[in-house]
Amino acid sequence: MTDYSSVIPAKARIQGDRAPAAAPCSSQGQALDPRFRGGDDVKERHTKPVYDEQALPATRVRGYWQSVFYRLQHDPVTLFFAAIVVLIVLAAVCAPLIAPFDPYKESIVGRLKPFGWRGHPLGTDELGRDMLSRLIYGGRVSLLMGVVPVLVASLIGGMLGVVGGFLGGRANTAIMRTMDVFYAFPSVLLAVAIAGAMGGGMTNGMLALTLVFVPPMCRVAETGTTQIRALGFIEAARASGARTTTIIRYHVLGNVLGPVFIYASSLVSVSILLASGLSFLGLGVRPPVPDWGLMLSTLRQSIYVVPFVCALPGFAIFITSICCNLVSDGLRAAMDVRM
Amino acid sequence: MIRYVLRRILYAIPIAFGVSVVCFSLVYIAPGDPLQTVMPPDATAETIAIVKHAYGFDKPLPVQFLIWLGRVVTGDFGMSIATRRPVFLEVSEALANTALLAMFAVPLAFFTGYVMGAVAGSFAGRWVDRVVTGAAVVGVSLPNYWLGIVLVIVFAVEYMLLPATGMGPNGSTAFNLLQWSNVQFLILPVVTLAMIPIGILARTTRAAVAEVRNQDFVQTLRAKGLSEWAVTRHVLKNAMPQVLAVMGLQFGYLLGGSILVETVFTWPGSGFLLSKAIINRDVPVLQGTILALSLVFVATNFVVDLLQSLIDPRIRRA
Amino acid sequence: MKVAKPALLRSVFALALGAGISLAGAAAQAGGTLVVGMTAGDLPITTGNPDQGFEGYRFVGYNLYDSLALWDLSKSAADKASEIKPGLAAEWHVDEGNDKRWIFKLRTGVKWHDGCDFTAADVVWNFTHSKDPQAPEFDPGQLAQATVYLANAVHASKIDEHTVAFDTTVPDSLFPYELSYWLLISPCRAKEVKYNCTEYALRPSGTGPYRFDSAAPHQRMELVPNKDYWDKARVPKQDRLVLVPMPEASTRTAALLAGQVNWIEAPSPDAIDRLKSAGMQIVTNPYPHNWTYQLNFVNGPFTDKRVRQAANYALSRADMKELLNGLMLEGNSTLPPSTPYYGHPKIYEYDPSKAKQLLTAARCLPCKVTFAISTSGSGQMQPLPMNELVKSQMDAAGFEVKLEPMDWNALIAVAREGVDKHPQYNAINVSRQTQDPFNALIRHVWTPQWAPKGANWGHYSNPEMDKLITAIFAEFDTQKRLKLLTQLNESMNEEAVMIFVAHDVNPRALSPKVHGFVQAQSWFQDLTPVSVEP
Repeated sequence: MTDYSSVIPAKARIQGDRAPAAAPCSSQGQALDPRFRGGDDVKERHTKPVYDEQALPATRVRGYWQSVFYRLQHDPVTLFFAAIVVLIVLAAVCAPLIAPFDPYKESIVGRLKPFGWRGHPLGTDELGRDMLSRLIYGGRVSLLMGVVPVLVASLIGGMLGVVGGFLGGRANTAIMRTMDVFYAFPSVLLAVAIAGAMGGGMTNGMLALTLVFVPPMCRVAETGTTQIRALGFIEAARASGARTTTIIRYHVLGNVLGPVFIYASSLVSVSILLASGLSFLGLGVRPPVPDWGLMLSTLRQSIYVVPFVCALPGFAIFITSICCNLVSDGLRAAMDVRM
Repeated sequence: MIRYVLRRILYAIPIAFGVSVVCFSLVYIAPGDPLQTVMPPDATAETIAIVKHAYGFDKPLPVQFLIWLGRVVTGDFGMSIATRRPVFLEVSEALANTALLAMFAVPLAFFTGYVMGAVAGSFAGRWVDRVVTGAAVVGVSLPNYWLGIVLVIVFAVEYMLLPATGMGPNGSTAFNLLQWSNVQFLILPVVTLAMIPIGILARTTRAAVAEVRNQDFVQTLRAKGLSEWAVTRHVLKNAMPQVLAVMGLQFGYLLGGSILVETVFTWPGSGFLLSKAIINRDVPVLQGTILALSLVFVATNFVVDLLQSLIDPRIRRA
Repeated sequence: MKVAKPALLRSVFALALGAGISLAGAAAQAGGTLVVGMTAGDLPITTGNPDQGFEGYRFVGYNLYDSLALWDLSKSAADKASEIKPGLAAEWHVDEGNDKRWIFKLRTGVKWHDGCDFTAADVVWNFTHSKDPQAPEFDPGQLAQATVYLANAVHASKIDEHTVAFDTTVPDSLFPYELSYWLLISPCRAKEVKYNCTEYALRPSGTGPYRFDSAAPHQRMELVPNKDYWDKARVPKQDRLVLVPMPEASTRTAALLAGQVNWIEAPSPDAIDRLKSAGMQIVTNPYPHNWTYQLNFVNGPFTDKRVRQAANYALSRADMKELLNGLMLEGNSTLPPSTPYYGHPKIYEYDPSKAKQLLTAARCLPCKVTFAISTSGSGQMQPLPMNELVKSQMDAAGFEVKLEPMDWNALIAVAREGVDKHPQYNAINVSRQTQDPFNALIRHVWTPQWAPKGANWGHYSNPEMDKLITAIFAEFDTQKRLKLLTQLNESMNEEAVMIFVAHDVNPRALSPKVHGFVQAQSWFQDLTPVSVEP
């Protein structure tokens, strides 16, 4: 007797998802198709095909993730912006290879020079350091402070949410109420308050942002888990003898991973903006480490000398943020998840 | 209905308590002495001990928390160490100034965002939709303090059309909404602050409009013979509750999260007060401001929830 | 750049609106309204000695109040450092029989802003107000601000209606200098508000050239002239003085260019060209300021004199000056050269190879050091770029410098607590005022001033210098004392007790409509002769 948990579609989907297209003649399709359920004549129906199988070509069944990739492939806008994001990330990772100058090398003579001066394509900053190199290296810090808090928050928040939703009852209430306390703070306020209280610095900033993002991630994961419980898949699986880990792996994670992933991707741009805001207020990384928010703040004094050079870090933040946003939107459309 | 309201209020109390614990303890994560700001660099250890006792900072932490909580519940948020004024006064004045900004920024964001979203949603999938959605994404992805700096350079410094900083020529206490000389100080901060809400509201409206358009009743209306414009009006009316809810939340968010914009424009609001309190380690003001702002946020969420469930009983949540 | 455009565009805009746009909010009256953009983060307190550093004294303290000895701020010539002159005390001298007692003869006919007469009893009252925790008039806030200047004073007593005597712990020839920072408030007004400090702050009363008019908390304070001021030459010429806190340099620059203020403190050096092209007056003058690093003499590389000298040889002060667009004096000693007791100290010229030699001899190569610095602050000039330049220059000469930035208040706490609580720092970057001999030299090297008792952060101790200092305190003849002070400065340089970097030149930018300002060589300035044309 097969374990029913493998017969039931691998991931019970919730909102707006389509079941995998099943050709009427495939055995899986028959198992799903209500017309074929139960009845003594099932066996006969199986042995006598309704129509000639040879006449119809076998249609490929696309799995869920294959559908996602299919939709993405045919979405040029998202692909374009995803390519930009990949470029930005690559540039940050390969910074030592592609940066034309040392981002820490100062030159009192070459301060605040405009575009193109002596081989500095984007000019120099208030200490004579090359802007392009500092922007590329700054991408490392800014991306790090944008992605790491979201990742960690997804892990922690996701775990808490799944545990809470799975256990239900008092434990769930306890977890969610604690999250609600932190939800009571507007995110900018909480990030600034925590980072400010701890005295600034990169780790404190990342810690503050992680704390800010854990409650929403937890809520998303908990909502997804609770919905699965409500649909009875978990009970059914338990009844058939599946272990807790299997249940979580098959039913819960599959459904929760989608919304969590989408929400996390939309949080990346928020995180980048918040992190640069913290640095702008002096609560982020310390000089002389290049970071876009910090550069914006220190260059503010020099806007009367080279206004366009001083606006560059803001552009960098803006472009990264908007690309992440658009890619996140595209992913959401492709995964067809409504939040 | 009353039971629902009472239940929500009862639920909000432990949240408020949790918020107060977080607020109080935030300050003590901080390294350094809360009294640094009052003391000149050369004060001796003796002097510090005397002043510490006078301000009550030498008691153990849980005792300080309970004393603080007791006072807070009666409305006494303590005295600011830096200015010796009651914190309640400082926070309420600052909050009023920020509320002024929010009061203009939110309607601006609502009208702009709603129109944008309605246009995008009604022409879903076409180039209009893409352009408008693109503009909305721009609004959400822009570092708004950077926009503020750019606006100051262009409008205040280069072309001298609008003032660069501050709240009115005579400060906030003499601020008069009926005089252009005062109102012109509002323009740049409000526009800067409205950027992100415009983006969010435009996207929310677009999603709501697109969703409502797909509902069956819209087909029914068309079948009835209504003109497209009349159908659109119905769609917009139905999409409104969701958008209003988000707008309400944005108001609460702006009240608490305006620190960056207020820093750029030196607007004497709650965010500015907070950043000063952080720099000066003015402990009572820090605690009072964060507490007040988050409680206001909780209250705003609560009101929005209530209104939503009044308008649409299906939305009632446990 | 865009000089013609604003005018054209402005008239177009005004026409379009059909309404007058009042930009500066400045009243067009006879003496004019002076609107000052300060670097302070908030309005200075008005309850006596102000906070917000010396800027508080400059704009609020010495305007609302007077001290027994005032600073002479009327001359700006390069060779005239500011000195103290009679203020509320017309004359003072040390008691012939007892050199631990100072007699101050007070000025007669002085009235407080509230109308009460100024008498000796008021001086004694102020002393208890600042120092005695048991007294009903005691103000803990004032204890913090004023005590440091009354450290040596043990007792104040009234001799008659217009004479006060102070008893000091040790013979102190520099006592009048200390009292020059102590501002006196009106006991009449204090009694009127029943010693409620919050109430008093809203209605302060002093003897100073300005009266308090109004304040919008955190935003602006308005002072008006005191027509009955006892020094007729210093009754303010402008109609109103408005103070606005603007801690961000770019905000101050924008406000001045937009016409919202007509005087800003410390414009950013990079904005100077733009300000000049807009017609603003840039005024500078050396003043008793020292941007420096105080060193750790307990542990670490700086305990060795050769390493200290190497650090001084490693710096190119000319480069630092260029970084600041010329807005500084090269710092080769604790004092700016215009100080009367500067003398001929040993100058450490830029010589990185000599620095390396010294480090090799001291067996510290590369020499790892950690500096505690701030991100902003009163008198700190442009701390981040300046420290980064120092770091790169010292690194090139064989050091390995690690910068640890913190905010200004945190750094002040480190400075106050002393090296014992913060042994991980080899140097702290706290700028110091050098306006009087005690604050200029003595407090940095005297053993009884070891932090947290005083400003000797690194616990420097030199028995020779201690002896010299005791002699200075005991020397009541000004000329002889001058010689001893010069000796002290020279030996401090020989010992390289600090890393000498720069002296600020007190830059400020004024609108072309502001007239009459004389910039003194002091942290304090006299605003009374200033007038603003409409």
